[in-house]
Amino acid sequence: MISGPTLASLLVAAIVRAGLYTLSATGLSLIFGVMNVPNFAHGELYMIGAYIAVFTFSGLSLPPLVAILFAGIGGFVIGAIIEKSVFYPLRKRSERRKIWIMNTFLVTVGLSLLLKNLIQVIAGTKYRGIDSYWQGSLRITGISVSIDRLVGVAIAIIVVIIFWLFLQKTTMGKAIRAVAQNEVGAKVVGINLDTIHTLTFALSAMLASVAGASLLSLNPAYPTMGLMPLFSSWFVVILVGLGNIAAVPVGALIISLIETFAAYGFGSGWQRLFSLALIILILLFKPRGLFGSDVKGIWER
Amino acid sequence: MQLIERLAKSNYTNPGLALLIVLAFVPLFVSDQYILQLLISALMFGTLAMAFDFTVGFINVVNFSFAAFWGIGGYTSALLAAKLGVTPWLGIFAGFLISALLGLFVGLLTLRLHGIFAAVMAWFTGLALMSVITNWTSLTRGPLGLMSPMFFDTMDRQPYFYVILVMAAFSLVVLLAIANSKVGLFFRAIGQDEDAAKASGVNPVHYRVLNFTVSTAIAGLIGGFYAHFMGILTPSVMETSQTIEIMALAYVGGRGSVWGSLIAAMIFIPVLTYLQPLMELRLIIYGVVLIAVMIFYPGGISALYRSFFVVKKSD
Repeated sequence: MISGPTLASLLVAAIVRAGLYTLSATGLSLIFGVMNVPNFAHGELYMIGAYIAVFTFSGLSLPPLVAILFAGIGGFVIGAIIEKSVFYPLRKRSERRKIWIMNTFLVTVGLSLLLKNLIQVIAGTKYRGIDSYWQGSLRITGISVSIDRLVGVAIAIIVVIIFWLFLQKTTMGKAIRAVAQNEVGAKVVGINLDTIHTLTFALSAMLASVAGASLLSLNPAYPTMGLMPLFSSWFVVILVGLGNIAAVPVGALIISLIETFAAYGFGSGWQRLFSLALIILILLFKPRGLFGSDVKGIWER
Repeated sequence: MQLIERLAKSNYTNPGLALLIVLAFVPLFVSDQYILQLLISALMFGTLAMAFDFTVGFINVVNFSFAAFWGIGGYTSALLAAKLGVTPWLGIFAGFLISALLGLFVGLLTLRLHGIFAAVMAWFTGLALMSVITNWTSLTRGPLGLMSPMFFDTMDRQPYFYVILVMAAFSLVVLLAIANSKVGLFFRAIGQDEDAAKASGVNPVHYRVLNFTVSTAIAGLIGGFYAHFMGILTPSVMETSQTIEIMALAYVGGRGSVWGSLIAAMIFIPVLTYLQPLMELRLIIYGVVLIAVMIFYPGGISALYRSFFVVKKSD
């Protein structure tokens, strides 16, 4: 059996992982809920955040929080540009809403290829990592956890809470939720759909970027680094229900617990197979996810 | 004249078959190994894309695990040859059958799902298959690569060219024959509106599973060719990026045409392989072309062809 200290350190590792999964999966769920875009390029937005952070932290030697902030702003701007240049024209041209989901999925596949390889042209294939943002470690109940990781999780929790408050309390946030529930109704009450779509994609890109930036000491920046966060975000989102933002933290915790313990018990190569098996079962028996979602009746399409 | 007219109106007359017939004579004039290599690559990816289109263009399910079946076919044949000494000529049919069986299984898994849910289900099943192949190192040697005996003892590319040409022609004819039959009509009906198809007496269960089985069986066959053509297999053939490359060809070729994918591969693979030193550039082109086609010309090459050349059928 697993001994006490090992169990504790596994749990801490799982919680750290869950925090970051939440951060990246929230953005993915948000885009789907509001725009009905199943984003395959989500990992690339994560990667962009990591590269911006490397550049500002190691390149310009700015303080870590500034680097993460810059990554967030950069992600926001790049997200807005992508929405305006790709999804906006596509939305204007597609008459049939029925095929919108699959079409945008394939467009994001193209985007993913494009962004990955553009970065490779600009920055090369070298791994660009940092040792840590913050030195030192803390001892919690007998196990040592690096401050770097703790701050990473703290950032994830704070950003998710701020984002949650933004959605609940501000007019813009309410408008975003209105569009997610009923696009026609939102239009009728005078919400500008184009603005909301751009804002949503930019926010989602920002969340992914912040996740990539705050995890930089664990995962160095390289062009194809987005694949793992893409998988985990999709696992979480499918597990709890596509478009259900509120349940994302729960899903993130479940997936990270499974993966952490499977990696401990069977070796890290097999960890993905366990979460995959769970999600295939979920898709098979409860395809709306554990908690379901009523986003624009996607299920009926 | 009557024969020509009938041919022109027949469903089998299309640039894909014409291309294959022309290609059959190419080795008589071209002995350059590099060009033959390019054509082999193009035919391989073209056939894979045709089989992919057979699912996405007809029953409207994006089989996002497609490359996994390509890999499974290859691994089956390579393992039979390497461990049991089975000749590759039999092994490729074993790969064909195993891929078909797994395709049947994935077809059953995705049965109740539509759109993005079906794509994601297929994607995750494919990832699980790849994960097994990667981690079962005692059997497959994982990322180290599995050596696989070649079809022929010669370094000459010409015999390989004819093998893949026959496979491509076989696939095209089989796929077109199904597409033009009543079954093909049922596929399209299910793809356009499953409820309406059900109401007209078409059982989606049978046809969706049948479609998956045929499409993945062809992927497995081509996988066997790949294994005994390259001589080494790694799990990277099963990666999602391979599915994406195949999918890009199918979309650019035009969904629902089957042959469009072959033409797209014949245009893109040689040009892009020529740009191989600039690997990133090649994939950037794929990305841009995929986005541009999806936004501005969703019909792809086959729609372009139809708008120019197709003889209008008289009523």
